[in-house]
Amino acid sequence: MEAVRIGLQALLVLGGLFLTLLILLHKGKGGGLSDMFGGGMSTSLGGSSVAERNLDRITIAIAVVWFTCVVALGVLDRFAS
Amino acid sequence: MLTAFGRAFKTPDLRRKILFTLAIIAVYRLGAHVPTPGVSYSLIQACQKGAGDANDLLGLANLFSGGALLQLSIFALGIMPYITASIIIQLLTVVIPKFEALKKEGQAGQSKMTQYTRYLTIALAVLQSATFITFAQNPSQLFANPACTNILTDDSIVTILIMVLTMTAGTGLVMWLGELVTDKGVGNGMSILIFTSIAATFPGALWAIQQKEGRWDIFLGIILMGFVIIALVVYVEQSQRRIPVQYAKRMVGRRVYGGTSTYIPLKVNMAGVIPVIFASSLLALPTLLAQFNRKADGSSAGWVQWIDANFAGGDTWEYALTYIALILFFTFFYVSITFNPTEVADNMKKYGGFIPGIRAGRPTAEYLQYVLTRITVPGAIYLALISIIPLIALVLVGANQNFPFGGTSILIIVGVGLETVKQIESQLQQRHYEGFLK
Repeated sequence: MEAVRIGLQALLVLGGLFLTLLILLHKGKGGGLSDMFGGGMSTSLGGSSVAERNLDRITIAIAVVWFTCVVALGVLDRFAS
Repeated sequence: MLTAFGRAFKTPDLRRKILFTLAIIAVYRLGAHVPTPGVSYSLIQACQKGAGDANDLLGLANLFSGGALLQLSIFALGIMPYITASIIIQLLTVVIPKFEALKKEGQAGQSKMTQYTRYLTIALAVLQSATFITFAQNPSQLFANPACTNILTDDSIVTILIMVLTMTAGTGLVMWLGELVTDKGVGNGMSILIFTSIAATFPGALWAIQQKEGRWDIFLGIILMGFVIIALVVYVEQSQRRIPVQYAKRMVGRRVYGGTSTYIPLKVNMAGVIPVIFASSLLALPTLLAQFNRKADGSSAGWVQWIDANFAGGDTWEYALTYIALILFFTFFYVSITFNPTEVADNMKKYGGFIPGIRAGRPTAEYLQYVLTRITVPGAIYLALISIIPLIALVLVGANQNFPFGGTSILIIVGVGLETVKQIESQLQQRHYEGFLK
């Protein structure tokens, strides 16, 4: 049990680091504060490139792995106690 | 109105966008309930059951996270680091010349600033999650529940580091979800996520009032009052003054350009909710300061006791007055940052536009400034009035700080709602369909 737990934790750390990195690699959308709470009128134009779409796929895959780790660790904790 | 909803769903493109947005919202709410590894879910539930009034320090942050913060879930910090980062970047444009230059650059500069905001968000997320988890090691203060002594499964340094990392990654994910909605869904993603969090706390907060009073007439009365306030807020948010602008006709070759008449819309509430957010975050500072200087045996310094008596509860007139003064100040401050009359006047002059009866250039700028100042006075007073509704409710019916119908929550709910509906409407109109708003 302890081995599974440590493995999951390692995967979680790696997943978290990669996830943050990949998200930072994306091009930011949205235009700041006044865009968020009304005020500015801005419409985003332009689709995403192929590179961006591949990045999306990788990010989703990593996010799923990361999320599974979180849930699995939670289940482990639940049954350990 | 309902047929318009039907039409929105019949348009394939729009239907896909709306369903995508709903799916993202579902993912966001799901993540808000998954506890971070290392936190014991059952212990947190036990702590929340006996919790006192929500900690004032966390009021706004907990509101924006939709209750996820006190559950220490993976999305505990939610959108708050992004908001803080945006505020910092926005304020820095006034101070740092390079940022000001970027702002003037237009699209390219804006996307660079967004990139800075994203980096800053992650940095702030590390900082805030570390601070928050340190707090969580001694949870009796966090939940205002003295019986609550421990919510972590173990407090070794490795577990804590993993928690910080998980919460940071969660914040990044929330930011990305918001951007996905902005990109592929309807409305502005970040504000939709904030909207979701706030709306998620509504039923609970209303039910808490009903439980406390145990009477249905007060409960229904409050709901009725809520609808009246929403109608009022919609009315004021929609009101604007239109300053007519006439563009001169120009001949370029054989074509005629310009000659159109249009208007500059000056909204009564140009600043939106931001002054309220600024004021509440600033007012949380004295309590935060007092928190660190409080002694366990009750022998704190005089000023700490004064702050605890007057600012911690949020139901004294000193608090209300400071709050109002700060909101009035920040409304004018923020309007002056976002709308620059000189710039607008210069742009109009460049393209041959003028306000009928007023000379182009400096007189136009002065006129715009004059109108803007006059229109912001009622706007600022309105903001202050809406934001002290929770304080009044606190005294009258004993609601807690996050009273649903008032202050930040109602302003954000209505603002985001209107903005999103307008965006869907403009998409419908592209296909010659009737919109929601007549």
